[in-house]
Amino acid sequence: MTAHLLRRTGQALLVLWAAFTAAYLLLQAMPGDAVLIKFQNPELGLSPERIAEIRSYYDGGGYLHTLLGFLQGDFGYSVETGTPVLDRLAEGLPATAELAGAAFALAVPLAVLIAFASCHSTRLRGLLLAVPSLMVSVPVFLLGILLVQLFSFRLGLVPVIGGSRAQQLVLPVLTLAVPVSAPIAQVLARALDHALAQPYVPVVAAKGASRSRILWRHAARNALPPALTVAGLTFGELVAGSVVTETVFGRNGVGRLTEQAVDSQDTPVLLAVVVLAAAVFVLVNLLVDVLFPILDPRLA
Amino acid sequence: MSSSRPAILSVAMLAVVGLLSACGAAPAPRAAAADGTPVRGGTLTYLEHQPPTCLYLPAAGFYPNGGVLNQLTDKLTWQNPQTLAVEPWIATKWTVDDDATEYTFHLRDGVTFSDGSPLDASAVAANFDVYGKGDARLKLPPAEFVSNYARSEVVNPRTVKFFFDRPSPGFLQGTSVIGAGLVSKKTIGLPYEEQCQLKNVIGSGPFTVAGQVVDKEIDLRAREDYDWAPPSSQHQGRAYLDQIKIIVTPEDSVRVGALTSGQADYVRYVQAYDERTVAAAGFTVRAEPTRGVNNGLYLRPDNELLKDARVRKALVKATDAKEVVDTLFTANYPQATSVLSHLARGHVDLSKDLAHDPAQAARLLDEAGWTKGADGLRAKDGRPLKLGVFVSGPQPLSKQTLELVAQQWAKLGVTLEIRPADAGTQAVDIKDAQKTAVSHSMVGRADQDVIKSQFHSESRDVLLSTDKRLDTLLEEQSALADPAARDAKVGEIQRYLVEHAYAIPLFEEPQVYGIAPHVRGVAFEAVARPSFYSVWLAR
Repeated sequence: MTAHLLRRTGQALLVLWAAFTAAYLLLQAMPGDAVLIKFQNPELGLSPERIAEIRSYYDGGGYLHTLLGFLQGDFGYSVETGTPVLDRLAEGLPATAELAGAAFALAVPLAVLIAFASCHSTRLRGLLLAVPSLMVSVPVFLLGILLVQLFSFRLGLVPVIGGSRAQQLVLPVLTLAVPVSAPIAQVLARALDHALAQPYVPVVAAKGASRSRILWRHAARNALPPALTVAGLTFGELVAGSVVTETVFGRNGVGRLTEQAVDSQDTPVLLAVVVLAAAVFVLVNLLVDVLFPILDPRLA
Repeated sequence: MSSSRPAILSVAMLAVVGLLSACGAAPAPRAAAADGTPVRGGTLTYLEHQPPTCLYLPAAGFYPNGGVLNQLTDKLTWQNPQTLAVEPWIATKWTVDDDATEYTFHLRDGVTFSDGSPLDASAVAANFDVYGKGDARLKLPPAEFVSNYARSEVVNPRTVKFFFDRPSPGFLQGTSVIGAGLVSKKTIGLPYEEQCQLKNVIGSGPFTVAGQVVDKEIDLRAREDYDWAPPSSQHQGRAYLDQIKIIVTPEDSVRVGALTSGQADYVRYVQAYDERTVAAAGFTVRAEPTRGVNNGLYLRPDNELLKDARVRKALVKATDAKEVVDTLFTANYPQATSVLSHLARGHVDLSKDLAHDPAQAARLLDEAGWTKGADGLRAKDGRPLKLGVFVSGPQPLSKQTLELVAQQWAKLGVTLEIRPADAGTQAVDIKDAQKTAVSHSMVGRADQDVIKSQFHSESRDVLLSTDKRLDTLLEEQSALADPAARDAKVGEIQRYLVEHAYAIPLFEEPQVYGIAPHVRGVAFEAVARPSFYSVWLAR
């Protein structure tokens, strides 16, 4: 177990280094840079020489220097605002963690509800199994706008401008929970189907177990591991979805920071965001790995 | 399970959502206050389209910056947006010598910055020394609204003099523009990166910063001891509002929906296609003119294909600006009649020369040797007539505008290649006349010098011009002390630009605001940035 964990941690560090290097090289290869984008503003009327001078001021000092900085927790300065990248991340992280955490917390029960309901009811089964496909097909920005129009502007149930912190969270969380919950529901429903088709099911049924006992006690245990794997992978959906959700709702979290950084090609910020996202992704999947043997003793 | 069911279901569910969102009634406009007496107090919620960028004053032209800085700073002079006359503000009176190389300003007494320091001659001199010459040590670039600046001289605490190397008749108006906001000596002495940050902007304006969530919200609070509004303002003393919440709301539909549902009072950047929604809900749509160089396509004469004036003329004739306005915009976007807005100083009506004439365009292209191939596209020596342009981020519906023009040009066999406004590529390629043959842009300022800003090779230089004659004309204009002679010169420049087919003016670009009926005292500076000083809430 310890050896396994050590090996996985080593792999995780390798993935992080690869993500950093790939992002670094790709960002270097992009045409133009943040300094040019920011200072070519015609109102400032700067000469190319002045821009080159300013660029030297922002120069990160090459790959090794930047990598060493990252290892020491120094992510450099945002070219767009001139503030340390770490400060910008620290400003955005709580809002995004709040949003993503709440969305995930809503997505999981929603997925479980859909999957189990589809196995319980034969009449609504077709309908319920179609729901995840619909949920995953609606673009996040469209869903966000529809929810705002309906619940805020038409029905006036929750404000999007002003309002308390909790009120400001309701619609973004709903928006983000939908696409995150869909793949979990899909995989869980399929896994339950698969589990219910196993030969042990008629055996337990013959012993007199009710349908819900079969479902919850027997099938669920076997259906959970694939769903857990997918739940771990939906973290990517959470990150991508939060970029769009935060922009639609004007929340300033890491997602919006990313969008702006892409827009202004703010390389230090982008590099830090990529490494941060990779770190959390790796961590989540590490956690899933650790949880597997607990859920299914056969995997221990 | 039938495979068509999910599709039918999706459609049904979307339809339900659609119906629900369509059947809600729009809120009735609030009853107007019984009389027009301004009420003091309240908080105005103002939704801005983009977060402010760097708040160094000379960069205030960017509308999200200007919307904030206009409330925080005062200027030496006030340009009346109706008459465009320059009136006293912090300067009570001034004298200009005959050749406009020496300006003397007498300042109002008792004006202070919000940090308590006095707004006196030495503070004003410190501001304009930076705006006029920049400061290399502090990495501060000079401002585009000051030309030929030499030095300042503090005569006494209430009198300041400015000297110029060459005549600078635009300077008086320059002291009234958004970028000429006066900041405390402490602020102006900070390096560029520091001056960029809102917390460091210390002005003498009617509002001060009460709080900020970067890129999300700026809260302003009225300054209790403010007592130096422009003398011509009816309202004197403290601002009526207690507070302003400026909230960045990038999504168009959210801004408009928040306004019409009563969650916001005032929004910037109502898209042309949303104007009807706003008006139908009983809200005001205010389209403020920007009085400068029109939204248009600027043709770069150094481009290999555009070197030939006949090709440029053909493109002018191939473009139907009326169709652009009628299809994409509203009556708030008047079709251009010249390079300049009809509200700009020195405007001349050149609509005859700019008229849409596809037959003439085809003739000109034939003459220039660009013949139509079997595919309907024009080519010469095997080279296609293909021109590149970038979508212009700040221009409303730029992509749609360019797509429509591309359709018009395609009828004549000319290809307009539209590239997305990806900042990096754009920053590199926009300064390359071969790759980017056409520039889609505009610039607003209520002075004759606006034309110089757009076209001079040392300014915005949208043409990437090597035309010495054009530079000379622009410099002559900027050095004429007599306003009438300046207007005439501006007319000559417009004719020159149209004659050489450097410009395809499309429309006069406004700034469009949506305003709730209970918001009164709405006012703008001369180039459409809102002033909240006299705004009050009738509710």
